[in-house]
Amino acid sequence: MKNCIEVKNLVKEYKTVRAIDDLTFEVHEGEILGLLGPNGSGKSTTINCILSLLNFSKGSIKIFGKKMDVNAYEIKRNIGVVFQDVSVFEELNVIDNIDYFCGLYIKDKKLRKTYIEDAIALVGLENYKKFYPKQLSGGLLRRLNIACGIAHKPKLIFLDEPTVAVDPQSRNNILDGIEKLREEGATIVYTTHYMEEVEILCDRVIILDKGKIIASGTCDALKTLANIEEKVTVEVLDLPPKVLEKIKEFKNVEEVSYLDNILFITYKKGKNNLSELMEFLKEKRVNYNKIFSERPTLNDVFLELTGKELRD
Amino acid sequence: MFFHNFKYTLKTLFKSKALIFWTFAFPLILGTFFSMAFSNIEESEKLDIISIAIVNNEDFQENVAFVEAFKTLSKEGEEQLFATQYVTEEEAASLLNKKEISGYLLLEKTPKIVVNTSGIYETILKEVVEEIEENSKVISSIASYETAKHVTEQATNEEIQNIRNTIIEKVLKIQQINKTNMQDISNANLSYTMIEFYTLIAMTCLYGGILGMVAVNQNMPNMSSNGKRISISPLSKGKLILSSVLASYIVQLIGLLLLFLYTLFVLKVDYGNQFSFIVLLSLVGSFAGLSLGIFIASILKASENTKTGIMISVTMLGCFLSGMMGITMKYIIDKNIPLLNKLNPANMITDGFYSLYYYSTHERFYFNIISLLVFSFILIFFSTLSLRRQKYDSI
Repeated sequence: MKNCIEVKNLVKEYKTVRAIDDLTFEVHEGEILGLLGPNGSGKSTTINCILSLLNFSKGSIKIFGKKMDVNAYEIKRNIGVVFQDVSVFEELNVIDNIDYFCGLYIKDKKLRKTYIEDAIALVGLENYKKFYPKQLSGGLLRRLNIACGIAHKPKLIFLDEPTVAVDPQSRNNILDGIEKLREEGATIVYTTHYMEEVEILCDRVIILDKGKIIASGTCDALKTLANIEEKVTVEVLDLPPKVLEKIKEFKNVEEVSYLDNILFITYKKGKNNLSELMEFLKEKRVNYNKIFSERPTLNDVFLELTGKELRD
Repeated sequence: MFFHNFKYTLKTLFKSKALIFWTFAFPLILGTFFSMAFSNIEESEKLDIISIAIVNNEDFQENVAFVEAFKTLSKEGEEQLFATQYVTEEEAASLLNKKEISGYLLLEKTPKIVVNTSGIYETILKEVVEEIEENSKVISSIASYETAKHVTEQATNEEIQNIRNTIIEKVLKIQQINKTNMQDISNANLSYTMIEFYTLIAMTCLYGGILGMVAVNQNMPNMSSNGKRISISPLSKGKLILSSVLASYIVQLIGLLLLFLYTLFVLKVDYGNQFSFIVLLSLVGSFAGLSLGIFIASILKASENTKTGIMISVTMLGCFLSGMMGITMKYIIDKNIPLLNKLNPANMITDGFYSLYYYSTHERFYFNIISLLVFSFILIFFSTLSLRRQKYDSI
């Protein structure tokens, strides 16, 4: 598989802090790579280094097989970026904003007009062409932000948390749009804190923490890294404390909690955990309304790998 | 791409309400206030003959330039500027205390003007004394030159008399040449309104710096999120900034044009017969304002609002020091911290305007033009050094 981005031994230091610590990874052509990590893990710094916005201490970055540099205009021509902060001009309406940013890449006015229409259709802003950013809701503004970043039909797109603080409808629209971009052949680097988006969109995931890669692979492969195998949830109206204590002593049980009539058990591994639990509850004559089992999610893996303590 | 960026910068600047207010509306509003406030004062402040005193000491009597100049300016007639009394220092102080004179001149090694208050008469006295002092230096060097050339140990009385006549002849010639300047000062219709309008033009020129600042900010990845997006486009930073700055300058000049049209046709301000020079100075002044904006934007690492605040403060302070709230301030700074006024772009602009007003030659005017250009190019040089940086340590 051809590499679209090659990052080798990248190091970025801020005085005494090492924000990126010997990072090496590739992004394959046509894939959506999820770049995950807690706040301050180095995701945005990595993107800014790749885009030649930031200096870095060591390492090399290649895009489309060529060394990326601030004056590498041929490479830049095929890159689109949607930053986390909405970057549009308050004084320009939707059409003009997209036209301005697209015009920095596409000289031909006719072609640009077609591209702008395509971008507007992709993010569903057809009814807001003459609206100014102030007149748009948060979700619509995010969609405009995306349209401005991708209107010139780049081969490589960086999407830095494009769905932050948007309503579910807008998020759905944005995710559909990203799928379409992939179908059109774009390679996408996607950073987000929403794990369900990663599971839906990303072919591969890299999890960063403290500037280092702590895990990488497909979503399914990452899930196998979790220390838990199964999560069981039971709705019990009355659970005697003695029964709860017995459950905690079960083989393979990692964690047990009982709160608001919900019994929650996580198992490290093992088979038939659910049936054993059901038999035990029957034996102890404990009535329950609902019981179900689920596999660990990417969120569980993420929390397990990066820790549950709060980050800045 | 250059034109594309230029076009959209124009569009964004014209649609920015805050920018339009500061560069277009604010000067017009201020001009209207000036016109309303000073039109009454103007009527009551028609220039009278100014009562002054001169301490008639030895230093004064020996200074041909001062004696002759004050004799001319105190001669009764249409061109009379001063009613001069020649008195002792004590008498002069007493006259000043009784407010019978606007001020008095005490000539020791250097001329000293003593005044009780600050006003237009006191400023005129100061301008006249400065002018004479300049002449006096020239006369003194001629005297030394002629004496050195002719006087020998064997010089006869007749020869010494000839030397004296030559010196007096040259002094009178210089007096004649400078008489025009003196008359310019004495005849100048020193109007409060014009002084205020000149500082208003200076302020408008410098306020244009806000536009230059915005133009730079929107292209810098470390200054704005739009700058980040623009920086990753396949366009050179130089082209982007140049096209944005050019658009800012155009908007600035349109603002200036509006001010001129408004003051000429609505407020009926009479700019005299040197309007083309006023326009030239305004163009160069606007360039200086633009350079100041670019400098603040590229050197300081602060939010756009903070930079705008700094730009407005610097401009207002510069205009204040150059006499916007009273011409006396300009005199005080000239007297006590002359370097400050030499570095103050607002003062360079207003001084250029005053020089058109006061002098029939354009030497001082062109000196101010050159000063403004030097000021601008120094700021642009340092801004370029900062803007040349391609990558950042942090953004």
